[in-house]
Amino acid sequence: MRINLMVVVRRRWFEAPWEFRESALFSAVAVVAGFIIQYATSGQGVPMLHLPVNAVVLVLFAALILGTGLGFRENETVKWFGGIPLGLCLIVAIALLSLIGGVVPQGEAMPGTPSALLGVHQIFSSWPFALTVLLFLANLGLSLSWRLVPFSIKNLQFILFHAGFWIALSCGVFGAPDLQRLVVPIEEGKANNLGYTIESEMPRKLPFSVFLKDFSLEEYPPQLLLYDPHNDKVLFERSQAITQIQKGVKASWKGVDVVVLDYMPYALVGNDGEPEPADRAAGIPFAKVKITTATSGSREAWISTGSPMLKPYAADLGGLFLIMMPGSPKSFRSAVTVQDENGHQQIANLEVNKPVSFMGWKLYQMGYDEQAGRWSQLSLIEAIRDPWLPAVYLGFFMIMAGNLLFFWNGIKQKEVAS
Amino acid sequence: MMVDFTTAALVAMACWATGSFAGFFARRTPALKLPAFLLSLAGSLAIAGFIAAYWIVLDRPPLRTLGETRLWYAALIPLVGFLVEYRWKIAWLKYYCMGLAAFFLVINMNHPEVFDKTLMPALQSPWFIPHVVVYLVGYVLLAASSVAALHNVSLQLRSKSNATGESVAHYLALLGFVFLTFGLIFGALWAKEAWGHYWTWDPKETWAFLSWLAYLGYLHAWRYKIDQAKLQWYLALSFLVLLVCWFGVNYLPSAQNSVHTYTQG
Repeated sequence: MRINLMVVVRRRWFEAPWEFRESALFSAVAVVAGFIIQYATSGQGVPMLHLPVNAVVLVLFAALILGTGLGFRENETVKWFGGIPLGLCLIVAIALLSLIGGVVPQGEAMPGTPSALLGVHQIFSSWPFALTVLLFLANLGLSLSWRLVPFSIKNLQFILFHAGFWIALSCGVFGAPDLQRLVVPIEEGKANNLGYTIESEMPRKLPFSVFLKDFSLEEYPPQLLLYDPHNDKVLFERSQAITQIQKGVKASWKGVDVVVLDYMPYALVGNDGEPEPADRAAGIPFAKVKITTATSGSREAWISTGSPMLKPYAADLGGLFLIMMPGSPKSFRSAVTVQDENGHQQIANLEVNKPVSFMGWKLYQMGYDEQAGRWSQLSLIEAIRDPWLPAVYLGFFMIMAGNLLFFWNGIKQKEVAS
Repeated sequence: MMVDFTTAALVAMACWATGSFAGFFARRTPALKLPAFLLSLAGSLAIAGFIAAYWIVLDRPPLRTLGETRLWYAALIPLVGFLVEYRWKIAWLKYYCMGLAAFFLVINMNHPEVFDKTLMPALQSPWFIPHVVVYLVGYVLLAASSVAALHNVSLQLRSKSNATGESVAHYLALLGFVFLTFGLIFGALWAKEAWGHYWTWDPKETWAFLSWLAYLGYLHAWRYKIDQAKLQWYLALSFLVLLVCWFGVNYLPSAQNSVHTYTQG
């Protein structure tokens, strides 16, 4: 059943109750004001408040919203401020600003250009975005205050979802200046306690040092490819598969058939000129292949990936080359010992997707010397500290709990409807 | 390659086409109803079988590239159509769903995948499957919702009203939104483990956030009792944002440094 409450007489601008027109105008003014402030402050962006100042400001902000919501819940303007029309318009405003961030590359901008002054290259730390989010938090907070008091279990799903979103968004935004991300480069057999930020050349001292015992990298098997040097192109195998080399593997291109007769993941060329197995640290992959072409019959050849120290071996097929490409990294890890100033130690293995916590910091395997690949002596560790993380996660889990209820209620509603 | 994609895709499309054809005649001849359904279902099963074989050959879940995810959409979108028919006795949605699935298969036939078994370290995570699968289901539901809305819009243009159709589009959007929210948060939790921070405004994240906002806006507009008929336009058009998020992000200027582009290199 659809109830239509359309009033025939058009409401004039700013005649109570305010609705979409006033909300759209208000949101547009907020965005424009944001851009003006951004321009007037020469594209500086929003000032960064650190702990404990940002936490105090956030608590005062929350108290102000809660007080206004509960103290003036019958006031028409306050009602409008916490209503759906303004909420929707602010969602649209945030979406439009995010759209700029989703299309224009974010990062460094040419200083002094109009786009830099307006902050479109750092839209998510710009004044218009900050103002809109702040107003959105106020809108969301007001509507939340009316559902919180008086409390009813029927509102639980609403409260979990909206309060979770409020907490995650506000703590994510207010806490952003406290996020520290430092890249710590460490050479094998050495320790380091200095981290670098992306913005500045000056290193910052960490409250602990990291000693790199060993860096190791495991690769996928090398790939067999047919390379066309004239067009600088790799030709695809008939089945469109990337052929990983192992003994017995066959591959075929137009007019070329290849069989891998022998494969050694770690080998070196011996005195007789033939590759022979070697130890893992020094050896490089070698494969003996049988190549059959339509024009010149069959022959055998050795091919190899080469390494930063050794030249690669390729098979010349009259203008085309059969080459062996090193496999992409499968996993890489750093065996480290972390030690704080009091001598407290922790031994850890850092790997992608497996960070390790130490003294409120999280240590991540970030990268290595990609030129050296498997022989890299350098490991890049990222040390990250985010004191606001537990609050943001609380918000996330509240949203998910609210979502589960939403799902449940949605299904129940359907049962009733049918 | 043991499994031939073109064959599987053609078999699936042939099943959907004959199933739809039989379904059309089933209106007059109810005896055709079951064969029509079984044929349509066989189309999805053909793709599901291909995915299973592909998974075994690749030795990793085929969820890494866009082309691989399109296989899942092609298998799952028609299923939503069948479920809607079963639940609400609405027959038309499944035709749109099969059409959309066939469209995804045609894209894949024109852009053959390169079979690559490798999985970069950041993707080797217990979060990989839940994050992608939840998103897949969400996108599938929202695609079906947009398709239903499009049908409703076309009915409106011919001055016909369709209240059941509108509520189907609504419930699909609502369920889709729930999955989208889970996908977004799972992604954030994974990002914290793999890349060090839960939110970095990576272009794909920004577009996922935009899609989420689009449906958040829809649900509030619906809650505010904005005319359902008007909102069908909104739902039909939200699909465009979803499409950019799905497939378009890689082509945007902002995507230069995205962690979500796995198709190159």
